[in-house]
Amino acid sequence: MAVKLKTDNRDDLRSSVTKELRLAGEVPAIVYGYNVEPKTVAVNSIELLKTVRDEGKNAIISLQVDGKSVDVMLHDYQVDPLKGQLLHADFYVVNMSEEMDVQVPIVLDGEAQGAKDGGVLQQPLYEIAVRAKPNDIPEQITIDVAALEVGDSILVGDLKEGKNYEILEDENTTIVSILVPDEEPEETDAEEEEASEPELVGEKQEDETEEEEK
Amino acid sequence: MLMPKRVKHRKQHRGKMRGKAKGGTTVAFGEYGLQALEASWITSRQIESARIAMTRYMKRGGKVWIKIFPDKPYTAKPLEVRMGSGKGAPEGWVAVVKPGKIMFEIAGVSEEVAREALRLASHKLPIKTKFVKREEIGGEINEG
Repeated sequence: MAVKLKTDNRDDLRSSVTKELRLAGEVPAIVYGYNVEPKTVAVNSIELLKTVRDEGKNAIISLQVDGKSVDVMLHDYQVDPLKGQLLHADFYVVNMSEEMDVQVPIVLDGEAQGAKDGGVLQQPLYEIAVRAKPNDIPEQITIDVAALEVGDSILVGDLKEGKNYEILEDENTTIVSILVPDEEPEETDAEEEEASEPELVGEKQEDETEEEEK
Repeated sequence: MLMPKRVKHRKQHRGKMRGKAKGGTTVAFGEYGLQALEASWITSRQIESARIAMTRYMKRGGKVWIKIFPDKPYTAKPLEVRMGSGKGAPEGWVAVVKPGKIMFEIAGVSEEVAREALRLASHKLPIKTKFVKREEIGGEINEG
């Protein structure tokens, strides 16, 4: 059951009007996609954030545009990096009977045995590409890492594919691994500290000679 | 310390540091990051010092990414030299950092450890910074 979200029409696209909208707690947005003409709208910032938090990033939202209801997904969004404020949102009107490619977040479950034994848990992949019909897109893919020992890793190929979705990522991509902890960082720090000064001068001289050659 | 291997020109103009960072404003590799809130030159020594502070605190655990690179040379005149007679000699290397830039990232440690490691690192830098987490819309918004 798709979550409902109200929108207001937004026809005046001047930046001053958009700024006022944001100050009033609205987020300027655009609706485009399957069988619709692109339309500029505004949605309530808090309601949108709540919906995404509760239903996930790939949730189907039933958006009220011009009195009609369209099924959309949050396709893209812009956030102010300093304030964390939502600046703009893109809603993509989906064809419910057609498969689509989306990025689904990966969530690790449990504390790895290897991490307890002193290993370092590393997760190079935080999102995975999945192809599915809009209704079958998983909110997240949970991976149990409790049994992982030092040196073990989980690859994309190790994931059990869901019945309703297909994983598009390369099978040999590492999702999570438990690495042997580094033994030497402290020593290398000291070495680098001592060696840094002459190296800097040496590099500079090289630069000078290079320029002379030119 | 970080510095370019080869450069085209030994000296550069100082330039201006207007506006906010254009890229590198999200946590891309790790789980936690240290975000710049002011614009400044960060010297290679400051970067190295911050890195050492972080890795020392984290001991053997975790992984650190340095997302800024000091590729701009700065010059200085020797002491007690009269003004004029050309630009000074290259003295070191700096990274130009603007507000919003994620300078360091950490993964593989708990949030408390990451917070403390990045706090220690921030004391080595000449600017105000904030601790940020991997971005999640609707989730926990990055806090100061």
